[in-house]
Amino acid sequence: MAVAERAGKVLEARGLVKKFGEKTAVAGIALDIREGDFTGLLGPNGAGKTTTIKMLTGLIKPTGGEIYYYGRDFFTCPKDAKRHIGVVPQHSNVDRDLTAYENLYLHSILHGIPKKRRREKIYEALEFAGLLDHRDRQVKTFSGGMKRRLVLVRALLHGPGILFLDEPTVGLDPQIRKNIWDLILKINQQKGMAILLTTHYIEEAEKLCRSTYIIDKGRIIIKGAPDDLKKDIGGYVLEIFREDGIEEAFFASKEDALERLRGCPHTCKVREVTLEDVFIKLTGKRINV
Amino acid sequence: MFNGFRGVLYREINVFRKRAGKQILASSLSPLLFLIAFGWGFGDRVAVDGLPYITFLIPGLITMSSLNQSYGIAQELNITRFYFHVFDEYLIAPISHVEIVLGEAAYGMFKGLLSTALIFAYSVIFGVKLTVGPVFFLAILTHTFLFTTLGITIAMLVRDHGDQAAVNTFVITPMIFLSGTFFPVEKLPVVFKWLVYALPLTYSTKVIRAALTGGDVNMLYFMLMLGFAAVFFVAALRAVGRVEG
Ligand SMILES: Nc1ncnc2c1ncn2[C@@H]1O[C@H](COP(=O)(O)OP(=O)(O)OP(=O)(O)O)[C@@H](O)[C@H]1O
Ligand SMILES: [Mg+2]
Repeated sequence: MAVAERAGKVLEARGLVKKFGEKTAVAGIALDIREGDFTGLLGPNGAGKTTTIKMLTGLIKPTGGEIYYYGRDFFTCPKDAKRHIGVVPQHSNVDRDLTAYENLYLHSILHGIPKKRRREKIYEALEFAGLLDHRDRQVKTFSGGMKRRLVLVRALLHGPGILFLDEPTVGLDPQIRKNIWDLILKINQQKGMAILLTTHYIEEAEKLCRSTYIIDKGRIIIKGAPDDLKKDIGGYVLEIFREDGIEEAFFASKEDALERLRGCPHTCKVREVTLEDVFIKLTGKRINV
Repeated sequence: MFNGFRGVLYREINVFRKRAGKQILASSLSPLLFLIAFGWGFGDRVAVDGLPYITFLIPGLITMSSLNQSYGIAQELNITRFYFHVFDEYLIAPISHVEIVLGEAAYGMFKGLLSTALIFAYSVIFGVKLTVGPVFFLAILTHTFLFTTLGITIAMLVRDHGDQAAVNTFVITPMIFLSGTFFPVEKLPVVFKWLVYALPLTYSTKVIRAALTGGDVNMLYFMLMLGFAAVFFVAALRAVGRVEG
């Protein structure tokens, strides 16, 4: 696509490896992210998603590999790179003892937002998150969804070029999850910000991400647009419920699948392929068990 | 410039502000108990090193209390680091480790100086005269700086809350009792004397007591305090550099 060609590279990572003692959490991951991209890292628990994000944001040091932001080496000028990074960590790290306003104010100092512009920016962020009326409440009194929205707008306050979202909706109920999704899509569309999101929710990756890296055991097993990945294995799946388990067969069209279904002696079901099927096909196991 | 320093300090002071009443009340109790028990208990019948015991005791309480407060930020750092991951917000920001250390140190020194002021108030109530001069100021600043950077170092090195408690029990508490805060270290048996002369609090106490009671300040001891301060500052810097979010 022509637009993607022209869009500048925001982040490039090569051969990222992280070992914790004997254990290899990330075993050589490469990523490319351009302006305005919405990229997903989809994988089961323990796949190495958080570890990857932490390396990319400077929270832990990689055992090996290279990271570039806007073509510049992350490790030789981390301060420069960090100005372009916004992070929503998996474990909410808002300051419980501060109010929402104070949390954002702290962020504005740390990121060098000029004093004159702080108040205005903070109010704008609170408004965006729907937290304006709660600005002077201590965060320890917030619900999970409110905290998540606060962390989200805090990560945006300094106008980063790329936003990292580590499992942004984990532990939230479906209504609030939807609410956060809308907010994230708005950020990507309105602000044109590149987003790298990790998740183990299939639906989240399919709904939000324009391209997905599926990872398992610290490795990328496949990457591409969710629709392409699904099309590659067939688009439609026929599930045959046998006594000894479920057999799956993939088809390019619904008609083909229904054709095969005819005369099948077992209980059968035809449905659209999901990224879960892609994962199962490649690894032989499910993402969510 | 100094965004990191100002940010860290902004955070700490705003959290402190909300608990200030409770915290000050809690930290004011134990020195008061010491003063009542030992100060009044022994009264001025007992003289130590040529001073009435209560006059000897108050500088000791100042070093003890300010140490407890300025070193004590380790406990808070621990909670914010391990349980609430607040520290990650610093590590992700475009600021340097020096600024983080100096910001936390300024907060620790602030707390130490607050408790020092409190004991000065007690000394007025108990009718003890102290001489407060520039040497005392330099000494208390060095003293609170060195113990707060020690606190930061340990808070960054320990792997969990339990480790932190162990360091406090096995290192900090014995140091507080042995380093001449309540009695002259010269009274200790030789083996212990060697031990306490390896501890920074011994020098702080000697220098601060001499400064407050009009005695001669041993410049070598003061230099040693500065030396400890430099070592702990570098240690804190390295510990923050190693910490992973
Ligand atoms: N500090 C650490 N020390 C030792 N092992 C670790 C550490 N952090 C992560 N690991 C291990 O590395 C692997 C990858 O962990 P990571 O948290 O990156 O997975 P994840 O994909 O984010 O999983 P989840 O969906 O549960 O968040 C796991 O096996 C984990 O146990
Ligand atoms: Mg994770």
